[in-house]
Amino acid sequence: MVEVSSPEGKKMLFVMTTGPEDPEKTYAPLYTAALSAAMEVDTSMYFLMHAPKLLKKGAAEQVKLKKGGTLKQFIDMAMQNGVKFYVCEESLVDLCEIRPDELVEGVKVVGSSTLTDLALDADSVVSF
Amino acid sequence: MAIINGCELPENLLYYLEGNQMTWIRVEGELATVGLTDPAQTRAGKILHVRMRSPGTQRESNKPLATIESGKWAGPVMSPVAGVVEKVNEKLDATPSLINEDPYGEGWISQIRFSNQAQLSSLLKGGEALKRYQEILTRENIRCIRCQK
Repeated sequence: MVEVSSPEGKKMLFVMTTGPEDPEKTYAPLYTAALSAAMEVDTSMYFLMHAPKLLKKGAAEQVKLKKGGTLKQFIDMAMQNGVKFYVCEESLVDLCEIRPDELVEGVKVVGSSTLTDLALDADSVVSF
Repeated sequence: MAIINGCELPENLLYYLEGNQMTWIRVEGELATVGLTDPAQTRAGKILHVRMRSPGTQRESNKPLATIESGKWAGPVMSPVAGVVEKVNEKLDATPSLINEDPYGEGWISQIRFSNQAQLSSLLKGGEALKRYQEILTRENIRCIRCQK
């Protein structure tokens, strides 16, 4: 098994494109990001395409998981562990038709160019 | 032994309850042994993997001593005091569920040689700890269960 001895201080970016249309694909990225943050990795998530729908107030509670519970617990866990949440404004407004004030607390709405900044700044990028 | 919502909370331990942390601390001289409490192991569910900071690692207080993974929870176990990791529970590599089965005994996680006795004063004990746990267990609707060996 590969085990990095000192992951702390490194940066990871998780890119999330799946929305509530495929519930079983939504929680693993949040779980992995939460774990990464718990390992003291500076962790960000960027939500685009259908993924911003997961961050609308009340939406995560409606995403029921086969393993039990809802997506809400995974979003809360990632936030508690210090994962930074970024949402693509173009996807949010044009594709998902959600206003920024309809999002849960703790989410930053940014432009597409921020994805480039975050990706270039990260030590590793994982896309889901 | 106090029992709240089916959760065992030994009265002879110190407790750390900052942020979402729910850990116990047993102090012997300059050594502090740390583990998850019964409510913490219940909240996590069956633990599948534990990654512990190696002996010799310097830790500030409220920095991760270990990372815990279960199917539904992933999070850090924060150090309640500053110091150096003295020893880790190597049995958890092969059997991480010891934390679920025996959280106050064989499921201990890490032992720290702490640098400053005064830090212990910020940890909770006795009735104060039980009162806080009562509030948390009610608010989060936690009722403890133990995985069997």
